[in-house]
Amino acid sequence: MSWISVEKAKKLEERFGYPKVSESKGVVSVEVPKDKFIEFLKFLKEDKEYDFRMFIDLTIIDHGEKEDPRFQGVVILFSPSNQERIIVKTWALDETLPTLTTLWKGAKWAEREAWDMFGIKFEGHENLVRMLLWETYPYHPLRKDFPLEGIKDTYLPSLNETLRGDVLEGMFNYDRMHTAIPTMEDLEITQKKRMPVKTSQIVLNWGPLHPGTHGTIWFLFDLDGEYVRQCDIIIGQLHRGVEKLGENVNWQQFIPYTDRMDYIAAINENHAYVLAAEKLLGIEVPEKAKWIRTMMAELSRINSHLLWLGTYALDLGALTMFLYTFREREKIMDIIEGISGARFTINYFRIGGVFADLPYGALDAIEHLTKDLPKRIDDYETLLTRNRIWLSRNKDVCIITEEDVYDFGLTGAVARASGVPYDIRKIDKYDAYGEVEFDIPVGETGDSYDRYLVRMEEMRQSIRIIQQCVAKLRKMSKNDPYFFQTPDEKKLKVTIDGRGMKLPAGEVYASSDNPRGELGFYIYNKKDGLKAHRMRIRSGAFYNLQVFTKAIIGRPIADAITLLSTIDPVVGETDR
Amino acid sequence: MGIKKVRPKPQTLVEKIFFLDFIKGLKTTIKHLWKKVITVDFPYEVVTPPIRFRGIHGLRTVDGTEGPEFESWVKRLKIKPPEIGETRCIACKFCQAACPVPELFDIQAEKLDVPEDHPHYGLKVMTVFNMDLSKCTFCGLCTQACPTDCIIMTDIYDLSAYTRRNWVLDKDMLTQIANDFVARRGKEKFNEISQWREDQKLWPEYDKTREKLWDFNMPKLGPNYQDQTA
Repeated sequence: MSWISVEKAKKLEERFGYPKVSESKGVVSVEVPKDKFIEFLKFLKEDKEYDFRMFIDLTIIDHGEKEDPRFQGVVILFSPSNQERIIVKTWALDETLPTLTTLWKGAKWAEREAWDMFGIKFEGHENLVRMLLWETYPYHPLRKDFPLEGIKDTYLPSLNETLRGDVLEGMFNYDRMHTAIPTMEDLEITQKKRMPVKTSQIVLNWGPLHPGTHGTIWFLFDLDGEYVRQCDIIIGQLHRGVEKLGENVNWQQFIPYTDRMDYIAAINENHAYVLAAEKLLGIEVPEKAKWIRTMMAELSRINSHLLWLGTYALDLGALTMFLYTFREREKIMDIIEGISGARFTINYFRIGGVFADLPYGALDAIEHLTKDLPKRIDDYETLLTRNRIWLSRNKDVCIITEEDVYDFGLTGAVARASGVPYDIRKIDKYDAYGEVEFDIPVGETGDSYDRYLVRMEEMRQSIRIIQQCVAKLRKMSKNDPYFFQTPDEKKLKVTIDGRGMKLPAGEVYASSDNPRGELGFYIYNKKDGLKAHRMRIRSGAFYNLQVFTKAIIGRPIADAITLLSTIDPVVGETDR
Repeated sequence: MGIKKVRPKPQTLVEKIFFLDFIKGLKTTIKHLWKKVITVDFPYEVVTPPIRFRGIHGLRTVDGTEGPEFESWVKRLKIKPPEIGETRCIACKFCQAACPVPELFDIQAEKLDVPEDHPHYGLKVMTVFNMDLSKCTFCGLCTQACPTDCIIMTDIYDLSAYTRRNWVLDKDMLTQIANDFVARRGKEKFNEISQWREDQKLWPEYDKTREKLWDFNMPKLGPNYQDQTA
């Protein structure tokens, strides 16, 4: 697996003296004191041998009210030259931490989120405001003393049915008291705090409910004529506290919630989560389940990219594309529906495999689709790739450089279009990806056109992977297990429905290559338990969206649509 | 590691002058002009959902196809042995335990009010089984947790109602839904001990509307694995 070896980490211990190396399930973490934190990270980043240039994630663990010190900062880094990761931890004494934005600009949003959710102050952060919630919200919801159902302090009777009298009996009625909701004044304060200094006369609000924003994202553009001088994004309108839920439901029960994060590619979300949980359990899933999962994940990737292509072209004025791609999407959803029983929020994967074998005829339908699909993609390419309008709207628009990729922790097609062949499928080789052949499409300049081309090529590569999976599955037997069979029920219990399933203590970080970037799950478990102590979701779309605020600077406002479409965030995943 | 660079050549002068890019695009769209309509005309036409479809729940009744462990479960939970036509539910609440939103279930069992010498003295029956489907995520975990294969998911997807209380289904409604579904498509889905059949089809083959979704070019369904037969 792609983690720094313990020996190499021990060398750090010898060199500096203060780091403490620990290892759990192959995940190596280094604990350093708070005052040496920045110095140590700077060394990791700049040293040629270690070269942890790429920022992956920053989060906080709340160890509980009674613990002292209570909060711990966790930073995950990646080294592109050595292809390995490391976790650096430190205790947040006095509920403060030094800011990482001096080393990686991408830490800006992560720190704002940590402040929002845990109330940890980052010293030296340029504008430490909330990330997902509004500015006047008084609580920090991911703290362990914040209840799961929230603090109900707002009177809101309108949710109740008053048609037949305001009867508050039965299961269908809600409490008259509701958790806090932002008022117009709250939103105004939030907006002003996000962009404290205006450089020009006009601040343009784009969204939150605009068809071009692909969801509910609220953009603030500080405009000089038609050119953007400053930009900030207000997200969180779709925040449902998935991380908090993950800490309060059982292991298998969390899978339906991951479906609802990136609802366009729900299978890939399930995939990342089950990978992390399996790593913590330390089990190996059966061969058949691996190949089925790989195949389904790639189907879902094509599904997601088709939606991206349709809406992207629609935004730039090519309506035909939207109708064509949705026709193909329908077929993929039809297959997924037949296999798992649902079209959108699929919940097919389980910790330990998949919940059912493929139904009769599934492989034939998939094979039929993979024969048909390349022709369709050719059709799309003739419509768009060399079209002069398409070229002038995309070529050299909003260039994202290789430096940005490492700084902001960009992953997925956005990173690959900038010439960084960062693909977890190749790095981690999870499930059957180690055994299938495929190429990583890589762009050259990192403009919108490259991001478009990379995704188109990814679809073709996915078809290649699916064909290999079908060929491999054909050779298997119908009696091969599709779910993990435990050797000893008393020691290790893995159930399809998740009742009574315990995961051991430890910490893991596992990720999968989502259509929207690296989706990682960092699970920290204090002791063996039915629920996680800390469930951190490293959302690829969240970090990719962050680069929007930089790449749009100096570009005309019309490019915002192109850039947003090619970054392709899904709000369910950015907000969680 | 296979890395593939993507970047096509820039437009040539000929392409630019003669608008070849537009002509090629128009050729593709004109090709589609002569194709048949593929839109399914809902609600006049309906696609039959696949047999695994996760729609509204149902509670199955005893009909002689229970699994071998059914009676031991009934004994273990001290439930009055159900007769043909009575519910299979033994009020074990496993479905609630497996549910990601447990508060959507309201399950209660009551002791029978019978004299001491009655054979059913001290035994319970399930009296309340309410499901608030407005909270349901249709993940199907309850059906996998059920030890008696009582709670199932049917192919009904139309949940629309005028008031919120219509989303709460009680045990009579759920039983009716399951009976209707088992009569219609039970043979397709379940085997003789009420478990999922091994040869469930990807889609029902008698459904002719589905052809439209596939541009009138449906795949022919065959066995998946070497040793699988139809």
